[in-house]
Amino acid sequence: MSLRLILAVLAAKLVMHISRLLGKGRGSSLPGMLALRICPDLLGHFENQPRTATIMVTGTNGKTTTNNMLAGILEREGYQVVANREGANLITGVATAFIRSSSILGRVRCDYAVLEVDEAAFTGVTKWIKPRLVVIINFFRDQLDRYGELDTTIKNVLAAVKQLPDSTVLILNADDPLVARLARESGYHSKFYGVRPVQELSGNVAYSREAKFCPFCGHALEYNIYLYSQLGDYKCTQCDFARPQPDIEAESVTTGVGGTTAFLNDDKNKWQLNLPVRGMHNLYNALAAFTAAYLLGVKPETAVAGLETYTPATGRMESFRYGSKQVVLVLVKNPTGFNQALSGLLTGEVEQDVMIAINDNAADGRDISWLWDVDFEILTRTPEKFKRFICSGQRAEDMALRLKYAGVSPTIIEIENDFSRAVDSALNGESGAVSVLVTYTALWPVEKILSRRAERMKQSVDYSVPSVS
Amino acid sequence: MSITVCHLYPDLLNLYGDRGNVISFVQRCRWRGLDVQVREINLDNPVKFEEYDFLFIGGGSDREQSLIAADLGARVDSLRAAVEDGLVVLAICGGYQLLGRFYRTPEGKEIAGLGLLDFYTEAGNRRLIGNVAVEAEIGGRKTILVGFENHGGKTFLNGLKPLGRVLFGNGNNGMDGLEGARYKNVFCSYLHGPLLPKNPVLTDYLIALALQRKGIGTELSPLDDSIEERANKAMVKRLLG
Ligand SMILES: [Zn+2]
Repeated sequence: MSLRLILAVLAAKLVMHISRLLGKGRGSSLPGMLALRICPDLLGHFENQPRTATIMVTGTNGKTTTNNMLAGILEREGYQVVANREGANLITGVATAFIRSSSILGRVRCDYAVLEVDEAAFTGVTKWIKPRLVVIINFFRDQLDRYGELDTTIKNVLAAVKQLPDSTVLILNADDPLVARLARESGYHSKFYGVRPVQELSGNVAYSREAKFCPFCGHALEYNIYLYSQLGDYKCTQCDFARPQPDIEAESVTTGVGGTTAFLNDDKNKWQLNLPVRGMHNLYNALAAFTAAYLLGVKPETAVAGLETYTPATGRMESFRYGSKQVVLVLVKNPTGFNQALSGLLTGEVEQDVMIAINDNAADGRDISWLWDVDFEILTRTPEKFKRFICSGQRAEDMALRLKYAGVSPTIIEIENDFSRAVDSALNGESGAVSVLVTYTALWPVEKILSRRAERMKQSVDYSVPSVS
Repeated sequence: MSITVCHLYPDLLNLYGDRGNVISFVQRCRWRGLDVQVREINLDNPVKFEEYDFLFIGGGSDREQSLIAADLGARVDSLRAAVEDGLVVLAICGGYQLLGRFYRTPEGKEIAGLGLLDFYTEAGNRRLIGNVAVEAEIGGRKTILVGFENHGGKTFLNGLKPLGRVLFGNGNNGMDGLEGARYKNVFCSYLHGPLLPKNPVLTDYLIALALQRKGIGTELSPLDDSIEERANKAMVKRLLG
């Protein structure tokens, strides 16, 4: 134990305390950042402290949800868990999570560390902490992506995985070819999860697909069915690369406003799951968490019960009440997540006012061209569900333009750059519900305004909209 | 009578919302009651360029780009004939580079382009990324085009006409103040955004040229462009004050 470590932990805890007193932000990465500056090898001190194992979740969309689901299951089984639950998934967020649970001397008492790690931070974090299980959920192109960057991200994750001990087990999404390929490429023991590809689930969102070629021979991949984005039942037209048969497979899937039901099948037994959140992407998150728990020896019944009481993390999807109106706030950050949020809007039962706030700061992505890869066209299928679209943020005009060209009538499109006025307009509209979709740097200011105007709902409600991480 | 649009390699070249250019072209035809058909042409699909009125080609990552260079190389004669005959073409970013003579790698190796237009591109040492404003004359009208550029290659025109002059940003190479290229009815640009939605003057000019080539009156009925103008002006104001 070093003095540096103690100083680092003390300083970080002090910052946590102060930010709590000031009620400022969520303080989920600043303390870790400070601690790492004082003690750069801080994470090395925590590496072997979880009594049983460390599990890491990485990939593009759904990390926070998957991670929180898994942490919830393990806690339900009676374990003590350290997790970075707020989506702070860089090395600073991981450090903060450990420090929050540690004594002043840097001692952490827990059975498991369940860590969400950003794809780009995966190499840096695994340098210090070797997970026993790595859950890789999907790879989508982010709006920040530059040419070929997705390829680089996958290569970096693969290289980092190869640095882990031979005993490491990978839990991979069988339905995403960009993920499933890692089993063969790494040579590590891999377990797969997936959704049985049946025609009824075939998605109709055609754009923002990434995997077009076989990673092994370069020939085209052929899809029997697309579930969403590049997830589906694929096989190479030339070599033997194909969707692997999942070890845990969801079947008889139904999704509705109230949530998602499915049977989870391990080839011997089946467990019915009634997931309180809707959308195929959340089923995938649940499958990933279930498979990890299953491999850790958690009773499947406990895992299912843990998933059925899952409530979305704050900040990703929040509900408010304004008079009799339900108000939902959702973060959108890339075409796949935005498409999921839009299909969530379509399942709403009452007419709604929709506010969309688009910023183009560095954290949002300075280039907002990706809005044209989002299928806003689906909104015009049920025009009766939408009273108005209020476009806000630094790129409000671009958002309005995108809606116009998607076929939304310009007469129901408003432009209001100012968040405060946009929120007021949305809340005071004539329809019975309000959905607010925002990019990253618009999230906190809009949330702040909403929480002043409307009452925050503690519980998730059945009107849940996809969360994105 | 219908306008036929060829979207080249949408499966491969769809970076940065490029399909927004096709959406914009198509919608502005439809809002005027013009019938439009879009055909998507992918690798190995047969294509007769002379049958089209407007051809769009976008950008992709390096790997996709080289697949396409090979595929399109095999069809270059028919494409050249159509271009010489006045086919209206919009080529963005990687698609733009592809139409030139060659791309010179950092090692000095020259990878042949299609050679339809007389310009060349060389690898730069930094990516040119950010919002752009360009002053251009489109169909006799002075206009400011706005978009977002993100390219590693630097393009140099051998006396070819540029699309416009850079008011803000880098353009072709960050050095000579030029952006894009024009030749007959071919328009090339590094601007994503996508380019056409926020620059309706250019979109309408492309439509008019396509109609003209078909021998149809070129007077386009005006549309309500208040959102388009607001979006364009907001960016012009941000970049140029
Ligand atoms: Zn193959």
